[in-house]
Amino acid sequence: MDNKRGLGFYIHLYKIILTQDLKSKMSYRADFIISTIGMVFTNVSGFITFWILFQNFPSIAGWNYYEMLFLYGFSLLALTPVQCFFDNNWNLRSHIYTGDFIKYCLRPINLFFYYMSEVFDMKGIGQFFFGTGTLYYAWNKLGIPFTLKNLILLIISFISASLFMIALMNLAAATNFWLMGSTFVMIFAFKFKDYARYPVKIFSRVFRFIFTFIIPIAFVAYYPSLFFLKPDEIPPLTYLSPFLGMIFFYISYKVWMKGALSYSGTGS
Amino acid sequence: MTNKKSFTLNKYFSLTKGSIMESLSFRFSMLITVIGNLIYLIVIYYLWKAIYASSSSEVVNGMTFHDTMIYLVLALALFNFMECFIVWSIGRNFQTGQIALELIKPMDYQVFCFFANSGQYLISFFTTFLPTLIIVYLITKGGFALSINLIYFILSVILAIVINFCVDFFVGVICFYTESVWGVNIMKEVVVALLSGASIPLAFFPDRLRTIVNFLPFQAIYNSPLKILIDKSLETKDYITIIGFQIFWVAIMILISRIFWNVSKRIITVNGG
Repeated sequence: MDNKRGLGFYIHLYKIILTQDLKSKMSYRADFIISTIGMVFTNVSGFITFWILFQNFPSIAGWNYYEMLFLYGFSLLALTPVQCFFDNNWNLRSHIYTGDFIKYCLRPINLFFYYMSEVFDMKGIGQFFFGTGTLYYAWNKLGIPFTLKNLILLIISFISASLFMIALMNLAAATNFWLMGSTFVMIFAFKFKDYARYPVKIFSRVFRFIFTFIIPIAFVAYYPSLFFLKPDEIPPLTYLSPFLGMIFFYISYKVWMKGALSYSGTGS
Repeated sequence: MTNKKSFTLNKYFSLTKGSIMESLSFRFSMLITVIGNLIYLIVIYYLWKAIYASSSSEVVNGMTFHDTMIYLVLALALFNFMECFIVWSIGRNFQTGQIALELIKPMDYQVFCFFANSGQYLISFFTTFLPTLIIVYLITKGGFALSINLIYFILSVILAIVINFCVDFFVGVICFYTESVWGVNIMKEVVVALLSGASIPLAFFPDRLRTIVNFLPFQAIYNSPLKILIDKSLETKDYITIIGFQIFWVAIMILISRIFWNVSKRIITVNGG
């Protein structure tokens, strides 16, 4: 039934729901501003950390300062969609616990879509701009040619990279359907976003495998960045990353939906 | 008939299942937290290994790879030990009005907050910090000295807790003026983690930045106790200097946070009951 609705319908619906959310958020303007500044604080501190490290050391596993900043900027960008569009995952625990979740099950639209569309997290916007700025700075310093091909590649790899963290958080949030309150799983999974900023090359073979195939954070920044940073030695995984991203996202969606459909309410 | 009976039992079994899940969930959360910390340690291990591999000398700013790892592991243990969510509890109590009930208690609110959290410090000292310390000591086969410095270290940690608490309390009171608890809290976390030397040892900071950081209270939270524990070259007079600085900051932070609290608590009356 859900699938019969077109993309246009959902885009239209998303706009309506989003407007409602933004209206209610606008009444807490100070919160929005302070939270955005807080978000940018965390991003700036990551930047400063690299700056301090490179005051003492020339490179990390053969990656220089600007290459690391490129990776960092890219990871911030790729982590923006999960922050902005999928933040309602964090409220899943309380929705399930109080029984509120049942309201999402009763609408004739896609449950996952409806649930996620209800919250747009504005904090992510600050991160988006900071990430773009960092990426732009590193891009210039590295002298990567700014061609149409590179721009298209950047957009494709940005979208596909963002799918990995979204999928990871969906899976972590979905555990809420089976465990009673599993915010700790989400906190656990969310920490991995901080590890996406390092080249996966630094790890031993076992952890390289884990971070590529089991908890695939290497796809959030490392593999897509190779397109631009090491164009002479692009591994096959870089080319595969958009497909892997879609597959991983699809799996997470299915698991999330399976959990949601098994939800039986609290009985009240 | 039998069908019906098993059906009625089923509804009770679902309660069993629920209670099993609830109690397992607690154990499971402990396990996941430990695994999360382990993964963090693995990541920083490989990260710093790669960083040191790029350097031409083994000792950078007086720290070897070994020293850096001991420092960072213990910093993480200290961090877990001192984490106490006071900003959240003050911010939330203010927003819900719960704080009014705590104010009518015949106790000083700041001291009340401290002791309400003190049990947590004690528990996490024995469950997280002490085991980590022992494991690190055994793995590194005496990577840090165990002598008179332990007494200074314990004293230093207690002072660090008080400074950390005052920072948290101060930031919690800031929430009276803002609508945001999340934003204020994350700013505090970032500033403390960076400027205290919890994420990168202060020894790596460029000179000018380190001079500034030395004049701030944050380094007294992580850097001071860790330095006392790890640095084998310190003498009695160095220990006393470090502790003296911490005492100075304890006094300043208590003073500042109390003044700020006394000015700010007037706002609370507006909320009423």
